[in-house]
Amino acid sequence: MEKDKFSVRDLDLYYGSNHALKKINLQIPERAVTALIGPSGCGKSSFLRCLNRMNDFIPGCSVSGKVELDGSDIYDANTDLIHLRRRVGMVFQRPNPFPMSIFDNVAYGPRLHGDRDRNTLRDIVEESLRVSALWSEVRDILHSPALALSGGQQQRLCIARAVAVQPEVLLMDEPTSALDPMATARIEELVRELRTRYTVVIVTHNMQQAARISDTTDFFLSGEMVESGPTQQMFTSPRDKRTEDYITGRFG
Amino acid sequence: MSGARKSKDRTATIMLWLVMALTCGMLALILAFLVSKGWSVLSWEFLTKKPRSMMTAGGISTPIVGTLQLVLVSMGFAFPVGVFTAVYLVEYAKDDWFTRALRLAVRSLAGVPSVVFGLFGLSFFVIFMGFGPSLLSAGLTLGCLALPVIVGASESALLAVPRDYRDASYALGATQWQTIRKVVLPAAFPSIITGAILSVGRVAGETAPIIFTGAAFFAPRFAKSIFDQVMALPYHVLILATAGTNIEKTRPIQYGTVLVLLFFVLGMTMTGVLWRARLRIRQRAQR
Repeated sequence: MEKDKFSVRDLDLYYGSNHALKKINLQIPERAVTALIGPSGCGKSSFLRCLNRMNDFIPGCSVSGKVELDGSDIYDANTDLIHLRRRVGMVFQRPNPFPMSIFDNVAYGPRLHGDRDRNTLRDIVEESLRVSALWSEVRDILHSPALALSGGQQQRLCIARAVAVQPEVLLMDEPTSALDPMATARIEELVRELRTRYTVVIVTHNMQQAARISDTTDFFLSGEMVESGPTQQMFTSPRDKRTEDYITGRFG
Repeated sequence: MSGARKSKDRTATIMLWLVMALTCGMLALILAFLVSKGWSVLSWEFLTKKPRSMMTAGGISTPIVGTLQLVLVSMGFAFPVGVFTAVYLVEYAKDDWFTRALRLAVRSLAGVPSVVFGLFGLSFFVIFMGFGPSLLSAGLTLGCLALPVIVGASESALLAVPRDYRDASYALGATQWQTIRKVVLPAAFPSIITGAILSVGRVAGETAPIIFTGAAFFAPRFAKSIFDQVMALPYHVLILATAGTNIEKTRPIQYGTVLVLLFFVLGMTMTGVLWRARLRIRQRAQR
């Protein structure tokens, strides 16, 4: 029986008076890929950002309910945000490497958390770049600027950067929406491999992508979680009429 | 119809070109005037020797060094204070009435006439703090003058750092200070430097703030301590032009000094621009 990494109970999120997420209840299984799908503005990205509390930075944003990570509520007052974000890494919609060298980008996280030793850092950087399938392309240019890489390489670098702090969970917010089809295919392949080590939660507006790479799918609509289930079942025999309309392309 | 429109368009182009030519012409004229009056005295001796014979002969090494010292002291004070004020305003301050008032105050400071800074420096640094008329007092006064420029430039530079970088840093578990120190400040640094260099130009050319606070009419040697008075290029020009011992005879020295000051400021600006270009290239190499 697989274990749940996240257990979300009665989660409400407001931006000022805008009720963006309504009583969300769902489980996210460990070491599997969970896809969050739904039309633009349905709250899937907002939900994703609740899982590592990146919404804390948005003025006027308030959250109620419970988000349990391995059984303890991350919205508890005692939560150490630094520790939380170390356990729950994030990859963003647009590739956002820092204006530094490739090496320094990957070493950024470990250095934050106190790794100073050159050999240790070199090992972490190599290992992380191998995990993100970028090592063979950049092994000889580790000290050139990260911004000189192509968009797809930059996104894999961002994955390496997130992996370098040894997280348990990787949150991905439409990680391929700014990439061309070739680069997208490589990232998807990578996501499938990442599942063996990490719990992956990926937001996508692309249903084929969700069908290709995820084990579980959650369908969001207008701030509500409409349906949740194994991806296979979701795309072949959805229970809810709205899910069926969405995945058959009747709206969204 | 179309003919009228075309001729209007041509007129506009010509007008704009004329205005541009006027601006450039004025600058060229000023430069030509200064060069014709002062070029003759420019020499290695002029730059490296101290003034002699009641400042009617010799060089201007003491005011050159004095101006450099004033710039150093003022930047040593204004650069860190200005940058960190901007960091506070952009990264930490809440957007409330207090912050807005603070911003407005800093902006207005930039419009205060420089003689007011001079009087402030006199009553605060020279008298109240007891620094006396000195390199320190004059440098700090000039620093106050440069502060709003540096704060303004740093603020825009920090605001221009993409939100993405901050997000990426926080998502890796960085604290706010780690994010500022390792990502935001380095990314903003090239623009901050430009602002600072521009303010150096202003600091080096100001007379009013230093007259009461530490500029010497004449000093026989370089300032050895921050409590010594110093000669400065702009004040030296003022003296030669209005209070010298032999104004007509020293005209060439006066214009030579102006040229040196001008080249100094130009040189600083060029250095700033080149430095920024290099930093930019290092950060974001072309694909």
